[in-house]
Amino acid sequence: MADAAAAAAVPGDAPGGTTVLDSLGEDITRIVYPVSACMLLVVLLVSLLSSPSSPSPLSASIAAATGGVSGGGDDDIPTALITALTFVVAVTAATFLLALLFYLRCTPCLRAYLGFSALAVLLVLGGQVALLLLSRLRFPLDAVSFALLLPNAAGALALAALAPASVPIALHQAALVAVAVLTAFWFTLLPEWTTWALLVAMAIYDLAAVLLPGGPLRVLLELAIQRNEEIPALVYEARPVDPRHGRNWRLWREGRQPGVGEDLQTNSGNSSSSQVHEAATLAGDVSNSRPRVTLVAALSSSDSTVAQVGEVSALQEHRVAVAEMSVPLIQPRPQRSGEEVVEDEDGIGLSSSGAIKLGLGDFIFYSVLVGRAAMYDYMTVYACYLAIIAGLGITLLLLAFFRKALPALPVSIALGVVFYVLTRTLLEEFVVQCSTKLLMF
Amino acid sequence: MTLAAGLGYALIALGPAFSLFAGVVARKPFLVLTVLSSTLFWLISLIVLSGIWRGFLPIKSGAWWAYAILILTSVALQEGTRLVFWRLYKKMEEMLDAFADRISKPRLSLTDKMLISLAGGLGHGVAHAVFFCLSLLTPAFGRATFYIETCSKMPFFLASALIALGFLVIHTFSMIIAFNAYDERKKSDQVFVPVIHLAAAVMTLVNLAPGGCLIGTPLLLVMAALTLQHCWRVACQRLTEHRHQQHNSN
Repeated sequence: MADAAAAAAVPGDAPGGTTVLDSLGEDITRIVYPVSACMLLVVLLVSLLSSPSSPSPLSASIAAATGGVSGGGDDDIPTALITALTFVVAVTAATFLLALLFYLRCTPCLRAYLGFSALAVLLVLGGQVALLLLSRLRFPLDAVSFALLLPNAAGALALAALAPASVPIALHQAALVAVAVLTAFWFTLLPEWTTWALLVAMAIYDLAAVLLPGGPLRVLLELAIQRNEEIPALVYEARPVDPRHGRNWRLWREGRQPGVGEDLQTNSGNSSSSQVHEAATLAGDVSNSRPRVTLVAALSSSDSTVAQVGEVSALQEHRVAVAEMSVPLIQPRPQRSGEEVVEDEDGIGLSSSGAIKLGLGDFIFYSVLVGRAAMYDYMTVYACYLAIIAGLGITLLLLAFFRKALPALPVSIALGVVFYVLTRTLLEEFVVQCSTKLLMF
Repeated sequence: MTLAAGLGYALIALGPAFSLFAGVVARKPFLVLTVLSSTLFWLISLIVLSGIWRGFLPIKSGAWWAYAILILTSVALQEGTRLVFWRLYKKMEEMLDAFADRISKPRLSLTDKMLISLAGGLGHGVAHAVFFCLSLLTPAFGRATFYIETCSKMPFFLASALIALGFLVIHTFSMIIAFNAYDERKKSDQVFVPVIHLAAAVMTLVNLAPGGCLIGTPLLLVMAALTLQHCWRVACQRLTEHRHQQHNSN
């Protein structure tokens, strides 16, 4: 390869060095990675713990509670539809209750509810999964140590999930993903038709609740926007984890809070800071403006049902010079509590750090779909994973186009179900036929 | 044959893809998105193909000509997908350039364009390896191994991992050659890519004969090396031309 050897030097690049390709799309990948990690963990759990010899006590009690179905449950379509419908009704009622509490400014109730639900998921479901894992992997751990470790771990993770201002970002995000993984794994223990009916029902519910004028989520959102407050909820926020700036950035954020005189009764997901200070930074910062679309997910759980409100919040960075977009953020509003803030305005090395927020409910239902696909075969897992990521991408594009609250579930779940059906009926035969003969193309 | 063997087979098929991903693609988030979308494209083309062929399956084991037709149609469809991907990429390039102009940053450089085509090819290759090799690898994590009748000297998993590796290299690097050829309108390279793809696919027909995999697999890896060498030549040529142009214009 003489001609190749002559050109061994590093090829020339654009004189500027960095081009637009360096940081474009970073905010999307920052939400794709945790969603993928959550799905991967659920698939691992399902493949390790699948087909338990006896149904877990919780799922048996669910089956008993939702229609007197005995034992392993008749897995037929009418029962599945009834279960799904019951669930959707429960979720709607819970969301209306949430909206009512929010309307009455009962924030301590909401936060207590959140704390209780996060702790319950981590303690009960986490404990059950841990026990299953211990017995499956034959890991030697005695009861006393387990009884000591579990409540401590659950408490620490619950605290990390609820109070992002006091723990490192990575721990906060890991705690949220842990809650999502546990809830999703529990959902996959339901019988097959029930799971699919539930997914479709939740997707339709999400669509209706966010877009219809009387929908509970829309009511909640409008209340929040009207009052310019943050709904207390468990929301995954794709903040950048930058080891250089992490600590300083945190201190810089919190240092602003006393200056405004707001009560620091902040909610999960955001640290609040003064709008006036934000505006000062914005004016000097040439490149970022953020049209803001806020949706929030509240994960609430009662004894045996997990109801959730799923939405997608997206802050898209548009890299346009400071324009009308930034004007609403310049109005000083010093007396409000829990103000929604525009994140990541630093501009020092966190250039494309648009913080997209995705509700935990969306994590959960994506992982439920993939987990259920894992119970059939890995080919369906890959197909459904790609479909869900594609749906997420489409939802983000629509969000950038419409600039208002959009549900994250319908597109992904629809694509996921379609790809699952197509893979199971069409693709699998074909691929197995070809590759078992070692015929590839 | 336990976890180690299963992981080993998976890494044979996907190891180079992982290192390409970690070393090149993961640095730029846009390339990660390109990989994901090209994987999705390939999956959709595969689903369409399986939809077309579903009525004719299962094929009787003696009818090798049916497999030949299958392979012809598959390669034709995938090359068509490549063209569609190229059109979409051109549109994306225009949008990116307009965006870069708007925020007054430099436009896409040649290296960027080649990186995008690499990511696209990697997506295709990874999708191929995942669906044809990885999804059947689950039994390899168990306690035994598996031999098929026509290939009694090599475990089935090893053969399929090696073939998947060969095709991964072919898909990844032929995408770079193809995009370069469409860009520069070089007919010879535009023909080279489908021919190589077809040749490699037809070569796997050898695996239908008893003991064929011992011939087919090394030949396939040779074709992969050929593709790699050609791509290297094309890329170096293009980049030196580009540098000469830049020097002349400065």
